[in-house]
Amino acid sequence: MQEVYKDNPFIEVNNVSFSYEKSDIILKNITTSFYKGEITAIVGPNGSGKTTFGKLLTGILTADHGYILVDSKNVEEITLGSIGKKIGYLFQQPSRQLFNPTVREEIGFAHSFMGKSKEVVEQKVNKIIEEFSLEGLEDSSPYRISRGERQRVALASIFINKPTFLILDEPTTGLDIVRKDKLSMLLQNLKSQGIGIILISHDKKFINKNATRVIELSGGELHET
Amino acid sequence: MKLDPRTKLVMVFSLSTLAVFVVDVLLLSIVLIISIIVANFFKANWSFLNRVRKFIILLIGIAFLQSIFSPSGQVLFSIQNFTLLTTGGLAKGLRVILRMLTIIISATIMKGSSPREIIQALIQWRVPFELAFMVSLAIRFIPILGQEAKDAFTAIQLRGIEIDKLSITKRFKVYSYMFMPVLSGIVHRARELSTSLEARAFRAYPERTSYIKLKLSRYDFLIMSISVTFTMIVLTIYLLMG
Repeated sequence: MQEVYKDNPFIEVNNVSFSYEKSDIILKNITTSFYKGEITAIVGPNGSGKTTFGKLLTGILTADHGYILVDSKNVEEITLGSIGKKIGYLFQQPSRQLFNPTVREEIGFAHSFMGKSKEVVEQKVNKIIEEFSLEGLEDSSPYRISRGERQRVALASIFINKPTFLILDEPTTGLDIVRKDKLSMLLQNLKSQGIGIILISHDKKFINKNATRVIELSGGELHET
Repeated sequence: MKLDPRTKLVMVFSLSTLAVFVVDVLLLSIVLIISIIVANFFKANWSFLNRVRKFIILLIGIAFLQSIFSPSGQVLFSIQNFTLLTTGGLAKGLRVILRMLTIIISATIMKGSSPREIIQALIQWRVPFELAFMVSLAIRFIPILGQEAKDAFTAIQLRGIEIDKLSITKRFKVYSYMFMPVLSGIVHRARELSTSLEARAFRAYPERTSYIKLKLSRYDFLIMSISVTFTMIVLTIYLLMG
């Protein structure tokens, strides 16, 4: 099944370069593709541009040169909202992507906002809460729980949208061994469903266990390892 | 020529005071031109105007509202019996724009002075260190707060919310969601910072010594005197003329 996906890259990066204002080039002429049903790990030293690359892929940042296609559409020509329907993005600091007063509301936010019925939202939220072992935290504030729990809430609120592709920036930060194992199982399960995943991480053990492909960013260049 | 931050603060204060007290549109324009010249002299980075572009649009909007709700003078534009633009209203609107631009542009004079130098300037003016430190922290955190608000807005959209397709009421609702992570970030950071400051024995002794000592040069005294004298003369003439 994976071979079918190999013919149709979900994300295509073509000769992309990027630099922040008043700084050296962070990424130089990068060309690569990402496929559904594949877990790609992006590794590299601090400041090598891993998070920047992830942000370029989701259209949060715009490339100086080159272009990126998501599902055959140029990211610069589509809105973040429509990218969000296809790609789930986990920020390096999950507290920046939580904006509701309770965990329950946080997870159900997108569905309630789009006007889905209360019953449907409740049902989906309860399922996700169980999947991410968030029982007992439903009515807590996402800002008053531990970092690991916050990470899980952020992940849960992404997963409820059933994205086709996931970009997870340091998803294992703050997770204990049990939670990491659970995340591994979840990622493998998603992979088998044909969902593509990009893992931006320093966690070698987690990468070795889960990634089907590892690419390294260093000196602004990308190397397949 | 590197000026003392105190001199720059005096200049900013003088120009801002003039911008607040002067009512005449022509004189306000002159104050704005002076601000631009001075800011240019201090090599202001005008690219910031691009960043505050939306703010300028808001200013123009406010100016129009001023013009509509406090009409006076000759009617310039009206639809049936509803007056939209008058000469007095237009002048009021122009005043708002000129004042705000003068304050924003004059603030760029401080560019080139580090937050540490600004704290030292305030301390040497006998402002308590705690207050000076708070001011510098506030200045330092403004861009971080902006980035957090931007991140929150991006995160909301990445949940599949297409802002452009929302009604105005729903759009406002989306904007209201941005406050939660920003406020939480402020409280969290304030707590961590206070712990960190306590751990480094902040305020352990009543007297503080400083590694940096600022010294006013002849040019500093000259520029400060010119700034204060010019402001005083303009304001006195203004008050005397009513």
